[in-house]
Amino acid sequence: MNRTWFDWRTGVVVLAFAATACLPWFVSGYWLGVLTISSYVAVYAMAWDLLFGYGGEVNFGPTFLIGLGAYGAGMSNTFLGWPVWVSIPVGTLAAVIGGLALVGPALRLKGPYFGLVTLVAVLLLSQVINMFAGYTGGEIGLALRDILTISSTGNFYYAFGLMTITALVLRILVRSPLGLILEASGQDTTATEALGFSVTKFKILAFVISAFFSGLAGAMTVFYFGTASPGTVVAVAVTIQIIIATIIGGRRSIIGSILGAVFLIVAGEFLRPVGQLSSTLVAVLALLVLVFAPNGFISVFGARRERKA
Amino acid sequence: MTILDISKISKRFGGLQAVDQISFSVAEGEVVGLIGPNGSGKSTTLSLIMGVVRPDTGSIKFQGHEIAGHATHAIAKRGMAMVFQHSRPLHRQTVLENIKLALLPDTIFQLFTGRQIEEQARNAARRVGLEDVLDQRPDSLPFADLRRLELAKALAADPAILLLDEPFAGLAPSETREFSELIVSMRDAGQAIVLVDHNVKAVSGLVDRIVAMDAGQKIAEGTPEQVTSDEKVREVYFGKSLDTVEKTRERKHRVGEHRLLDVNIESVHYGRAEALRNIQLHVEEGEFVSVVGLNGSGKTTLFNSLLGFVAYQGDIQWDGQSLRGKKPADIATGGIALCPETRELFTHMSVLENLELGGHALDNADRRAQVDRIFELFPRLRERAKQSAFTLSGGEQQMLTIGRALMQKPRLLLLDEPTLGLAPLVIENISDALDKLQQDSGLTVLLAEQNLTFAVQHSNRIYLIETGSLQWNGAADRFSEEVGADIL
Amino acid sequence: MNLIIEILISTFIIGAIYALGAAGLTIIFGVSGILNLAHGAIVVVASLVAWYCALQLNMGIYLGGLVGIAAAILTTYVLYFTVVIPLSRSRQLASEELPVFLFVSTLLFALILQGLLEWFFGATPVSTPAMIDGVVHIAGVTVPLNSLLIGVVAWAVIGALWLFISHTRMGKAMLAASMSPKGLAIVGYDIGRIHFLVWGLYGLLAGIAGVLLASFIGASSNVAINLTATSFTIVVLGGLGNVLGSLAAAYILGFLGTVTAFLISPSLREVPGLLLLIVVLYARPQGLFGRH
Repeated sequence: MNRTWFDWRTGVVVLAFAATACLPWFVSGYWLGVLTISSYVAVYAMAWDLLFGYGGEVNFGPTFLIGLGAYGAGMSNTFLGWPVWVSIPVGTLAAVIGGLALVGPALRLKGPYFGLVTLVAVLLLSQVINMFAGYTGGEIGLALRDILTISSTGNFYYAFGLMTITALVLRILVRSPLGLILEASGQDTTATEALGFSVTKFKILAFVISAFFSGLAGAMTVFYFGTASPGTVVAVAVTIQIIIATIIGGRRSIIGSILGAVFLIVAGEFLRPVGQLSSTLVAVLALLVLVFAPNGFISVFGARRERKA
Repeated sequence: MTILDISKISKRFGGLQAVDQISFSVAEGEVVGLIGPNGSGKSTTLSLIMGVVRPDTGSIKFQGHEIAGHATHAIAKRGMAMVFQHSRPLHRQTVLENIKLALLPDTIFQLFTGRQIEEQARNAARRVGLEDVLDQRPDSLPFADLRRLELAKALAADPAILLLDEPFAGLAPSETREFSELIVSMRDAGQAIVLVDHNVKAVSGLVDRIVAMDAGQKIAEGTPEQVTSDEKVREVYFGKSLDTVEKTRERKHRVGEHRLLDVNIESVHYGRAEALRNIQLHVEEGEFVSVVGLNGSGKTTLFNSLLGFVAYQGDIQWDGQSLRGKKPADIATGGIALCPETRELFTHMSVLENLELGGHALDNADRRAQVDRIFELFPRLRERAKQSAFTLSGGEQQMLTIGRALMQKPRLLLLDEPTLGLAPLVIENISDALDKLQQDSGLTVLLAEQNLTFAVQHSNRIYLIETGSLQWNGAADRFSEEVGADIL
Repeated sequence: MNLIIEILISTFIIGAIYALGAAGLTIIFGVSGILNLAHGAIVVVASLVAWYCALQLNMGIYLGGLVGIAAAILTTYVLYFTVVIPLSRSRQLASEELPVFLFVSTLLFALILQGLLEWFFGATPVSTPAMIDGVVHIAGVTVPLNSLLIGVVAWAVIGALWLFISHTRMGKAMLAASMSPKGLAIVGYDIGRIHFLVWGLYGLLAGIAGVLLASFIGASSNVAINLTATSFTIVVLGGLGNVLGSLAAAYILGFLGTVTAFLISPSLREVPGLLLLIVVLYARPQGLFGRH
């Protein structure tokens, strides 16, 4: 198959983005809110997929990076009194530093072991948040001084804009020579080294980019909510949501991550009348997809299916 | 001019001296074959050169520069390329994109590929004969083409030297021929190559010089003719020279008229690689039959098919009944006991516990009696009854493997490479035990062996297997004159 | 002085429960290579069902405990048949991706269990009443008899487990499966059946741990993930698949946690363990007592 920049699928995607951008004229503030959250989760998912799907890193700590971004931004706003547009870069920087800290173990440890380290990193972060509840707000959360905007349309465009930019940047990246090298080193580090690539360099790049978008989205999320709380940006449940969004949408697919995130959040909304059990039902649904269609929605379209070697 | 000069490199993994003071050199445009049986350290040597594994001691000079201990990517950039035995292409990219990967510069500042890279990639594809499938995905290619793809990636950047690890593994005979021609054409173009293979026959026509290894050490070096006729090399591969086999072991047992095992396998595939084709073989009750051939020729695959561990096309009849679709456990309970090449002992359990698990289906009195019989057969095991299996020597472990199989009171014993890596004295012990077993109980045995001497000594009939197909079969005493020296 | 005694007694009991919880996890990993992240949730299933049956349905603590254990075994088999088996046999997954998918699916399964537990039992921590009343004085420290009994029962179960594994044919077969599944198949054991039994044994151990936990400090659906993390820390510190290593690690962790809880703050109980885990993973990825 010959891949060009504008085959019919690309056309459909561009149209869908354009149509979504027009939504504020047609739907209620409530649904705009749902789409705003979906967009942020989509960014988390895309950033995670860069490491897992393309880079082959079993990272169970996306919320470690998101949480650093969120709390970094939140605390610099609340305690240092820095404005939103300074606090967000501060949070993003914190996440990038966190991402760099994960490179060491990622190079040393294999598969599930690295996964364990990232899981531990998340648990430690939530312990630290509880420990310094005076500064972080603990379980209840940290109330911020400022928010992005009170307009639901404005919030939607911030989130949707971030998602669009992330999708574009990552799409260019994964289809570039860089993406090729990244994918190769995720699949077989030794063979990629033997082709003359210093894998370490590319791993660092992947972690930095993933951490950058995770942290940025995390920081913007808390300025959307007006609070930073472990339940929304650190909890393991959030990690699960990100992983599920990526996998049911289809790994190694930018658009798949977005579809998965929107599906997950919207399905959660539709199931809201069920009450307490709604998130459990979503989890059941996700588990079914995971077990019986591990390649996700996107495998239904296009020739992306991979078989057991 | 010498481009690669290896001097006294060594590598130890835990208690195993994998590579021991290996030295050899490769001149410009020269093709050197590195041969040796499985576990001889030849693949590790290749990994040491490429920097995948760091040597403990020794020096590796590549085009005059010391590279021992350098990072793999740094060595690659100096102009060395390697084709790994198992490597996986990127499945979602086309063949062309996979080759392009090998040509990209090692920098994170690149978002687009240049025309020149595209052209180079197409050239590399042409050199290995992949020009017609450039836009296909690796998934849709036959196995041989996947090997070509790996070769194209390695050749793409015009390396000064090319390392090939077992390039013929998994290829059918016709594909092996095509691949050999490819290597010859590379040699004619002046490409320096180090080629690792266990199959001496496959490489001797392709190489200028052979370095033979055993147990981590170099045992011979020279032209293919010199090395294949070298006494030591032949002994490492096949045991003592066939001519010197003393026909002391008489086969006293009676061969029955009852066909116990009837194998008719059309093929066995691992992924897309064909491991076995058209295997017809039978064993009569009371017979001792051997399947001989080099490592990698398909003997272990054959045994795994018999036990139901791998799927096969065709049929296997056991005592008149088909074994197709049966579970390994049921086949084992039905009277076939396997002594695998890897032994598969319960390493952290005692000798006695290993034996007892082998005889788990017997009642208590029966099991004790059988344990006693095995202790009589292998007195060493009685002394070690309480020791953990992993503390045993290689020979004792092999005895335990056979003992555990006999605990099942099998009607057919499958022995996979029982002499591999064992000292002559230990092999003698095992020989005696097998003789005793046959004389006392008329046990039926199917043996897979590389050690021809051992196989000829014990067998009634012999099957010769090469790269997955049967090449010869007949009575054991005809083997020496009809096949004899041709095998290496 | 009293403080030291108090810490030691508490370590004895907590360590025993930790060890019990981790033993099953280690055995599962040894035999099937699966890191089961639903572990904590399965333990909590036993705790909450035992509590519900004992107090709400007035079955009494012993019968309630038995039902709790049965519930844990049942849940384990649901996990085994709906997640582990279908994924292991899936033809759509490359074999090197399987561990990651099992990892994620078991975590998802844990989340589902947690949601169901919270919906059914609420999120408030509950504890079952003491099996026996009364206190003893050990070197001036007052200890509830019930706590001591829990420690003793936990050790008795570990002892029984050891007897089972080292002295019965079935137990030996399970142990052998962790050393060489192929070796076990060629002597005529059905590996599928062995796996089935090992998962059952795992459910039993997790169930007992859960019932004891409910009686000792209580449980709620929220603690599931922390229990998983603690058990994992133990299993990894002890060297994956190494049962004795797990026992030692359980005590190290129990001690560190107890000291932290007594001297600094009970809410930080898990922190030293996590820090230790990170250090060990960096310096000795095979665990403190790993074999390789």
